[in-house]
Amino acid sequence: MDILTKLGILANAAKYDVSCSSSGVSRKNRGGIGNSKSFGICHTWTSDGRCISLLKILLSNDCIYDCRYCVNRRSNDMPRASFTPRELADLTIQFYRRNYIEGLFLSTAVERSPDYTMEKLIKVLQLLRGEYAFNGYIHVKVIPGADPCLIYQAGLLADRMSVNIEQPTEESLRLLAPQKSLPKMLASMQQLKDEIQAHKEERRRFRHAPRFVPAGQSTQMIIGATADNDLTILRTTQTLYQNYRLKRVYFSAYVPVNQDSHLPALTSSPPLLREHRLYQSDWLMRFYHFRAEEIVDPQHPNLETDIDPKMAWALRHPEFFPLEVNRASYEELLRVPGIGPKSARRIISQRRVAAVSADQLQKLGVVFKRAQYFVTCKGVYPAKQSLDPAAIRRIMVPKPPVTQLSLF
Amino acid sequence: MDYLYDGSFDGLLTCIYHHYYREAATGIYPVDCYQPNLLSPSMVVETEPALADRVYRAIEEKISSRALETVYHVYISSAPEKENLILGYIRLGFQMGSRVDLYHSHPAVYPVHRLERKVTGEAHRLLGLLRFSDMGRFLYAVMAPDHHVLPLLGDHFADRLPGERWIIHDKRRNLAIIHDGHNRSSCRSPVRSRWYITDFSYRLEEKMPENERQWQRLWQTYFEKVSIESRYNPRLQSRCVPHRYRRYLVEF
Repeated sequence: MDILTKLGILANAAKYDVSCSSSGVSRKNRGGIGNSKSFGICHTWTSDGRCISLLKILLSNDCIYDCRYCVNRRSNDMPRASFTPRELADLTIQFYRRNYIEGLFLSTAVERSPDYTMEKLIKVLQLLRGEYAFNGYIHVKVIPGADPCLIYQAGLLADRMSVNIEQPTEESLRLLAPQKSLPKMLASMQQLKDEIQAHKEERRRFRHAPRFVPAGQSTQMIIGATADNDLTILRTTQTLYQNYRLKRVYFSAYVPVNQDSHLPALTSSPPLLREHRLYQSDWLMRFYHFRAEEIVDPQHPNLETDIDPKMAWALRHPEFFPLEVNRASYEELLRVPGIGPKSARRIISQRRVAAVSADQLQKLGVVFKRAQYFVTCKGVYPAKQSLDPAAIRRIMVPKPPVTQLSLF
Repeated sequence: MDYLYDGSFDGLLTCIYHHYYREAATGIYPVDCYQPNLLSPSMVVETEPALADRVYRAIEEKISSRALETVYHVYISSAPEKENLILGYIRLGFQMGSRVDLYHSHPAVYPVHRLERKVTGEAHRLLGLLRFSDMGRFLYAVMAPDHHVLPLLGDHFADRLPGERWIIHDKRRNLAIIHDGHNRSSCRSPVRSRWYITDFSYRLEEKMPENERQWQRLWQTYFEKVSIESRYNPRLQSRCVPHRYRRYLVEF
């Protein structure tokens, strides 16, 4: 099988992995090829609008597992292929030199056993970091159930590692991926967290101590394959951030690829809007100091689809508003729909030299359309509509598309 | 008095020097696209590096080194009237000091910050969207950016591909970065001196070796295969990769 065919099969099999970020680590070139930038660089965007930053690929799609939601499950009849570590390392370097990619995102199906597979992944990393002296970004998947020594070895070579927990609850995981076990995955995450912390501590004392997964760990959850509600998902997400110090939790709207009684029908379309709202909530937790319980509560365990979660929170808490932008703290400003971390910082820095007036809000990066109902500027309330949640909701909810009436 | 300068950064700074020490400027324009008018007299300013250097250091010391970067970024933009924006920004800067950048929505600051974001944004975008082709003896990349971002790309690629010889060609301005690519261990000079910008008007795309087309086919295949059909979203794609960049991208 030639490289072109293999690349086609193994890229196609890797596309459902969401993460593609190349940020979070800064490494200068120390001889050899490549460097890493902490801001991350996207190299292109595919026709589904997702960015390509890393060469996202499987080493092999020949899997012993039979997870119900997965394209590559054992019981699917499809072409199988595997790269040799040398082929893949070579491909990565050639793409990298041409500035097609920022690095490698290496995942794989489980061949033979988790340990055997993990060893093969490490071989690719060793080739790249050793023989090719590659300083670019490498994200590698942890094979659930692999030996901790192997995970440690990979962590010294990679920039980011991830264990996909796939489902927000243990029951859902047992239903859809009976061969995977949640406690084992969490053990791997715990190990990564501990090693990352230990190495950071060590680097504080010794400048040349080795780095371990410097860009941190992330994970991914499939959305909409089971009946779990948004509250469950967001609670799990919050726990992951708090207990395992994850950098990111990715959501992946389930794309029906398999016919199965436990899964949505093949004809159903992926829940893209729900995924979008979950990401918005994820941002609220990471950058806006929201807690999962503030975004959704047991009475309303699902996110609204019509309006974004921050606006929904504001409309449920009219007593918090209107805020005077010239006096509110940074934390308070972050609660206003239409104000983000950047515009909040701009408002605060401008306040040191001049008061902020309503007509300047837009220039400071505030989305005036949303913020106008929730702020006052120098005591003036800028919106025509008063702060009435029901009325604002009517304005904010998108109008149904206008269709021409039929004459007949 | 309208001051006319030769288009160089030093020339622009010389005009600002004269604004303070000779006669207040009503405007600063590049000499080759100036339209004379009856209302204000004009004068061609000869670039004097010594005077420019004084303004350069004054901006750094009396405003901030960040402001100096801002001024440079606006200077390499292709906005009309950019010189007058710079003049307004520096004038306010000399009054306010380093606090000038806090006043983001001030009419003299806001357009400058916005323009700077456009320029650095395009430079950042090109860090990803530039495509090299292996021409056999060197790597070659073509682009046609809106702003003159070439100087912002050199260090990045010099650090990334230190052992390679490469050329980044700005087709719109007929300029290129040439990087010589000797080994770092044998060369003790700082990073900055390992590349230079020069006039360049060769057309090299047609001379691509056949071998290179195969790598491009691999990349095109990858690009197609990694997209999920049921998430098809061309509007999002064209927001991320504007059509004007696609001409020089292998995958489009």
